[in-house]
Amino acid sequence: MQYTLTQQARQRRRRENLVGYAFMLPSLLFFLGFVIFPMGMALVTSFTDYSMTTFGFVGLSNYIRAFKDAVFIKSLGNTLVIVLVSVPLVTLFSLWVASAVYKSSQFTSSLIRIIFYLPIVTGTVAVTVVWKWMFNNYYGLLNYVFKSLGIISSNINWLGNPATALWCIITILFTTSIGQPIVLYISALANVDPSLVEAGEVDGANHMQVFWKIKWPQIMPTTLYILVITTINSFQCFALIQLLTSGGPNNATNTIMYNIYYHAYKLNEYGYGNAMGILLALLIAIFSFFQFRLAKSDNE
Amino acid sequence: MKKTLALLLAAVMLLSLSAVSLAEEKVAITMWTYPIGAWKDADTVNGIVAAFNEKYPNISVSVEYLDYQSGDDQVTGAIEAGTTPDIIMEGPERLVSNWGAKGKMVDLADLWTEEALKDISAVSEAVVAACQLDGKYYEYPLCMTTHTMAINYEAFEKADALKYLDQDTRTWTTENFELAMKALKDSGVAHTGIVYCGGQGGDQGTRALAMNLYSASFTNPEHTEYTMNSEAGIKGLQKLQDMVNEGLLTADPGIVAGDELQLFANGTANMSLAWNAANAANYASQAQFTPYAMAFPSDDGVPELAGGIWGFGIFNNNDEKRIAAAKEFIKFVSDDPVQGPKSVFATGFFPVRASFGDIYTGTEKEANKEFSVFMPYLGDYYSVTPNWPVQRTEWWNLLQRIFAGGDVKAEVETYINNVNVK
Repeated sequence: MQYTLTQQARQRRRRENLVGYAFMLPSLLFFLGFVIFPMGMALVTSFTDYSMTTFGFVGLSNYIRAFKDAVFIKSLGNTLVIVLVSVPLVTLFSLWVASAVYKSSQFTSSLIRIIFYLPIVTGTVAVTVVWKWMFNNYYGLLNYVFKSLGIISSNINWLGNPATALWCIITILFTTSIGQPIVLYISALANVDPSLVEAGEVDGANHMQVFWKIKWPQIMPTTLYILVITTINSFQCFALIQLLTSGGPNNATNTIMYNIYYHAYKLNEYGYGNAMGILLALLIAIFSFFQFRLAKSDNE
Repeated sequence: MKKTLALLLAAVMLLSLSAVSLAEEKVAITMWTYPIGAWKDADTVNGIVAAFNEKYPNISVSVEYLDYQSGDDQVTGAIEAGTTPDIIMEGPERLVSNWGAKGKMVDLADLWTEEALKDISAVSEAVVAACQLDGKYYEYPLCMTTHTMAINYEAFEKADALKYLDQDTRTWTTENFELAMKALKDSGVAHTGIVYCGGQGGDQGTRALAMNLYSASFTNPEHTEYTMNSEAGIKGLQKLQDMVNEGLLTADPGIVAGDELQLFANGTANMSLAWNAANAANYASQAQFTPYAMAFPSDDGVPELAGGIWGFGIFNNNDEKRIAAAKEFIKFVSDDPVQGPKSVFATGFFPVRASFGDIYTGTEKEANKEFSVFMPYLGDYYSVTPNWPVQRTEWWNLLQRIFAGGDVKAEVETYINNVNVK
């Protein structure tokens, strides 16, 4: 009798699993077809000289070429600057805005969320066009305002100067990246257990202690998600560069993503482009690994 | 006997029926076109397709419009996915030296009849040469133009700089060009002309300027090597660097030709290096002054202008019926004595066929005739040299390095090393 019941339970579980997998199947097929398969293809073709006319195994040549390629090294440096500046900045600013806003009235909180989320729903191209106009060397808003305030005496060619172009890209990336983290942090902070906060305050903890000892550990999963997503987005910064600078001036804004696009689509060097893509994926994986480790040690 | 006759009759009827069905078989083809004059407007192209369908009702043509920002990427994606269109409309640098050289295009030798060859050669041998590679024709041309520069006529008049121009031939010498820039600067103009180098858009203008200043050749005559490291080439680029340093020209690594044209049209810049008939039509209405087309300055006063050639190519989709239908469309659009001139008229450029004659007199585009004066200066069509896509990127990077203060000779050598196929 006991045996029969266990068997029935197993059968039921198997049936449930099958139904579960059946529901998953469309997404799974999509995931396999559009994520796993292209990833495998990219890995395989990164060891070939795949172009519009050739397809032959070349071993590690593409990887060796990348590390000897001055433009790739420059683009790697630019990418790291973008990530190392924009990720902490986006995270800290979002946390600061969310901390200031989450206790506000529904109207204020929603208004702030809308304002910061607007660049995301507006779309990259439209946002870029507006920024391009603001940065314009001849009649841009930025030069006009800075000159009016006496900050600069003559126009600055923001996007045409290697010293300023990358910072312009980081500024635009910042404005388009903070929307989602602010919304997430507002939700996370609102969900912090108020009884713990009250208990801390009763025990004499000040605002900073309440934040770092009680709230911060509770919003750590959100922070981790924001760090990982912002890191990936920063590593993959491409559209802004394609629309604004084409990687110039003098490769000052060239990033790995733009370099991949250039070699794959402009020069049809798919093998080399994919090798750079694999290197980028490894770099993102290393960054994410350390972020997870950091978050884990903080939670412990 | 009767039986045999009946069988024969039936066979003949069957054959004729199948012949009729073949003749009436419907074929659907696709065409992708870059924005070449009014060929970017659906109304214009639909009119051309409708005219074609009056004569060939069984061939349906669907059209997709590309832009220069993302068009190449779309074509690259289509080639890799095997979804290329049947017909593509653009110039030899893409159709011949890129996709043709990579074996993606159909040889159009049968369209190049003796009559067509003679008619097109009468206008320019360079057009015939540009459309072929290794004895195969990958493009059938429709129209051509010369790329020029333009000046703000009133600004030059005010600066008393018109005396440096030969208004009859629309030419000027390098020396006079420099004097004109000085006159403009002295008159208080902030930006005489802008040497844009933020990307490859309109790069033919900056190439033509650098080449012509001291009559350099961009490539060798065989189109196998880039040659701007010649004495004349380096001298021209050095002159540009000097003029920028002296404030006679503005260098801008933040903009491309589209931006420069806008700055010219709104009066910020007083010259454009990216002028041609189509741009004149697009920007003339915005300009509050007279945009006056000029050849690029040259030391001997005889410029060599870059030509633009546009026409059709067919992607090899291994479908003989579609290839045949695509050829019929190209023949109708390009060769038909009635439709041909209309097709060229839509581009705003000039016919490659001598027999089409003057297509602008007495029309609303009569102003385009202004550009016919530049046709004798049409230079070598060097855009078919190998490694062209690499060269385009390396060119604006070279300008950026030079205008950032780089040593001209050393930077040109770097450029040449990067672009010439080893």
